[in-house]
Amino acid sequence: MTSWRQPSVLPGFGLTFGFTVFFLSGIVLLPLASLILMATSMHWREFLAVILDPRAIGSYRLSFGASLLAATINLIFGFIIAWTLVRYEFPGRKIIDALIDMPFALPTAVSGIALTTVFAQNGWIGRYLEPLGIKVAYTWIGVTVALTLIGMPFVVRSVQPALAEVQRDLEDAAETLGAGRFYVFRRIILPTVLPALLTGFTLAFARAVGEYGSVIFISGNLPMKTEITPLLIVIHLEEFDYKGAAALGFVMLVISFVMLLTINLLQAWGRKRLVATGH
Amino acid sequence: MSITLDQVTKRYQGAPVVNDVSIDIGDGEFFVLLGPSGSGKSTLLRAVAGLTAVDHGRISLHGRDVTHVSARKRGVGLVFQNYALFKHMSVADNIEFALRVRRMSAAKRRERRRELLRLVALEGMDERLPTQLSGGQQQRVAVARALAHKPEVLLLDEPFGALDAKIREELRRTIRQVQRELGITTVLVTHDQEEAFALADRIGVMNLGRLLELGRPDELYTRPTTRFVATFLGAANLLLARQTRDGLRFGAADSLPGESTPGAREHEVVAVIRPEEVELAASQAGLSSDYLGSGTVDEVAFTGALEAIRIRLSDGAAESLLARTPNGEGAALLEVTRTQHEQRAFSIVPGQSVAIGVRRIHVLPTPLSSFTAYAHTEAAAAELSRHALLQELATRMKTRVSVRVLEAHATISGAAVIAANPDSVAQIEWLLRHGAEEVLILPAVASAPQRVLIHWADESARSATLAVAASLLRHVAAEGIYVGILPNSTPDGQRPQGMRALLDARSEAQAVHGLEMRTELRFGDVADALARRLAESPDQILILGISQIAGIAERFHALLGSQPRWPVLVVYRPADNPP
Repeated sequence: MTSWRQPSVLPGFGLTFGFTVFFLSGIVLLPLASLILMATSMHWREFLAVILDPRAIGSYRLSFGASLLAATINLIFGFIIAWTLVRYEFPGRKIIDALIDMPFALPTAVSGIALTTVFAQNGWIGRYLEPLGIKVAYTWIGVTVALTLIGMPFVVRSVQPALAEVQRDLEDAAETLGAGRFYVFRRIILPTVLPALLTGFTLAFARAVGEYGSVIFISGNLPMKTEITPLLIVIHLEEFDYKGAAALGFVMLVISFVMLLTINLLQAWGRKRLVATGH
Repeated sequence: MSITLDQVTKRYQGAPVVNDVSIDIGDGEFFVLLGPSGSGKSTLLRAVAGLTAVDHGRISLHGRDVTHVSARKRGVGLVFQNYALFKHMSVADNIEFALRVRRMSAAKRRERRRELLRLVALEGMDERLPTQLSGGQQQRVAVARALAHKPEVLLLDEPFGALDAKIREELRRTIRQVQRELGITTVLVTHDQEEAFALADRIGVMNLGRLLELGRPDELYTRPTTRFVATFLGAANLLLARQTRDGLRFGAADSLPGESTPGAREHEVVAVIRPEEVELAASQAGLSSDYLGSGTVDEVAFTGALEAIRIRLSDGAAESLLARTPNGEGAALLEVTRTQHEQRAFSIVPGQSVAIGVRRIHVLPTPLSSFTAYAHTEAAAAELSRHALLQELATRMKTRVSVRVLEAHATISGAAVIAANPDSVAQIEWLLRHGAEEVLILPAVASAPQRVLIHWADESARSATLAVAASLLRHVAAEGIYVGILPNSTPDGQRPQGMRALLDARSEAQAVHGLEMRTELRFGDVADALARRLAESPDQILILGISQIAGIAERFHALLGSQPRWPVLVVYRPADNPP
């Protein structure tokens, strides 16, 4: 024990470590364990029947597919928003900056209702998309829009400080060395903010997978088409099928864990490669 | 010429940060831009690099006008104070950056990189990351990177700022060596005069956005022309002296033979005495140089090679020494440095009385040596001497403000100052008749000027007016504007002559005083036109040159007649007695 201790300005390693263990176990690990326990208490045939149900498989595809798509959209547009906020001084910048956090504060059901109003066939935007043959509300597009909305702050808030740290001098130096704008962006700015960008992507993705409130309003919840896994779990619960719900929850847990781990490993590998070769 | 700057001006939110700077830098020259922080030197360097657009003026590199050419196409190498290395790239990739941009082959890149690393003495560091290098090594990499694409010009922005003294000196030597070896034209920006002396072929001293002086380091040190350069380059004692036909007189002391200006009538000047030009002895007889006065040793500090001494003057020149604040708060002390050799010959301790001799005195060729506030009572004069604008001018010009009562007879020294009042004209007349050469009229409220308007009503006052304007403009961040005025009745055929007069005034200001000014042409009665011009904005001051005292009330009624509303500096030089 003592050999792990590092001299620190804050005393009380024992106390803080105790708290860490307590919170992690009590709030994260224990509920997860009970979930796994409940799922494993099922007969495996019964378990497979629940998780391989075509309706369940359809919901995985929508949940993870839409979340990945939404996180990718956020990656691109979140970066652009962060860039605008960090690099330019314009009237109303502070207001826009504050607006970024709105999806955090809003009850998700409210965002869902608001989005549905706007994108429904007779909504402000929906009515113009309708003649073009694009239906947003009650389709997978609507789900993606909702997930994009709630994930956007994660990317913006992770990238902002990293971008602010890219010194203007670096860009100036590259420019005097003859590099064009795109070259500077690709070789100087992007490598510097990439770790933050990936973190934002991961957070937005994780949040989207677990999202429930906003999606159920805009998705229409058509089985096999616009039904997300968290909703399917709620349906199982409403039928008092706790085991079925736990089984689906277990699957979500595994897939999410694998995907997040992959992203994190990729990131670690990328950082190492960056340090090793300088690219 | 390798780099030519022509009247380069850069404004930031309306205020000029680089103000009409013109410099020619020769091929292979090592040029140092020296100035305190905020003097505009870094902005000027960035303008040369193309990273900052200029508002006015032209920049040429090797005869090519690059004013509107982007930084990436200017072919310059720039080194930053904080190195600005690409942290995610190895030393090799950093150095090869410019070559990769130019799609040079890998083999050629490697060859060039080797060459550069040898040049900056970092062989074998290719694969290191910037974070694995010391500050000095990082800056060497930055220099190598800036030279990779064989730029025509190397620009260094405070490159040693973040390094400690020892590394600084080492890197300084490397940079000088690299510069000589490549023969590359180099501009270095610094606030450190020692650094400037060690590196420069020529130094340009900047303050408040203006280029004050330009010259070889030894020239600028021994013969500065401005108070700012005299005190910024090394230590200097500034003294007010009277230039007489026999030489210089400091206070009550006897005249010393100085650099005499033949033909000039007696007037007040600012003299510079470097601390190392002062000689100390037990008595006047023991001095081998000219006697300045006597004093008491206030402080002795051992600084290694030299001994730093401060002396309180007790007679003779005592009152002529300028204190650090214009009010004269805190007695002025004469700063002296002595070598080990001198210390051995005559050792001193605090409290000791010494005789002071001066080996060399340099007289600054600047007008506006000091200010004297005049009013009818001592109290009113004292109050005027605390006027915000006057205090600011005096502080910036490192001179003093004295207090005198009007119409009590005394020799008038330096510029006289009066408060604007209905009686101003009469007071101006009295002061001018009693020997004043400059009279400043201050309204109760006057802010620091943004524009200095220049006009001479009589041709013989021209060069004095320009000299005063140049002196003032070196100390305030303002634009100089020459206002030429033609009578309304001027026939069209003569208007080109008016224009020519404007251009002549401008080129004389530039050639003789290094002063860049804009020009404007107005029509009408002189005083009316000037009053209208002054009324256009509140933050202006007028410098008005005249050579006749008689009729001043009638001629300038619109300006000075009723209580003047703007600061006006009247410069008087009689026609028959050229300054």
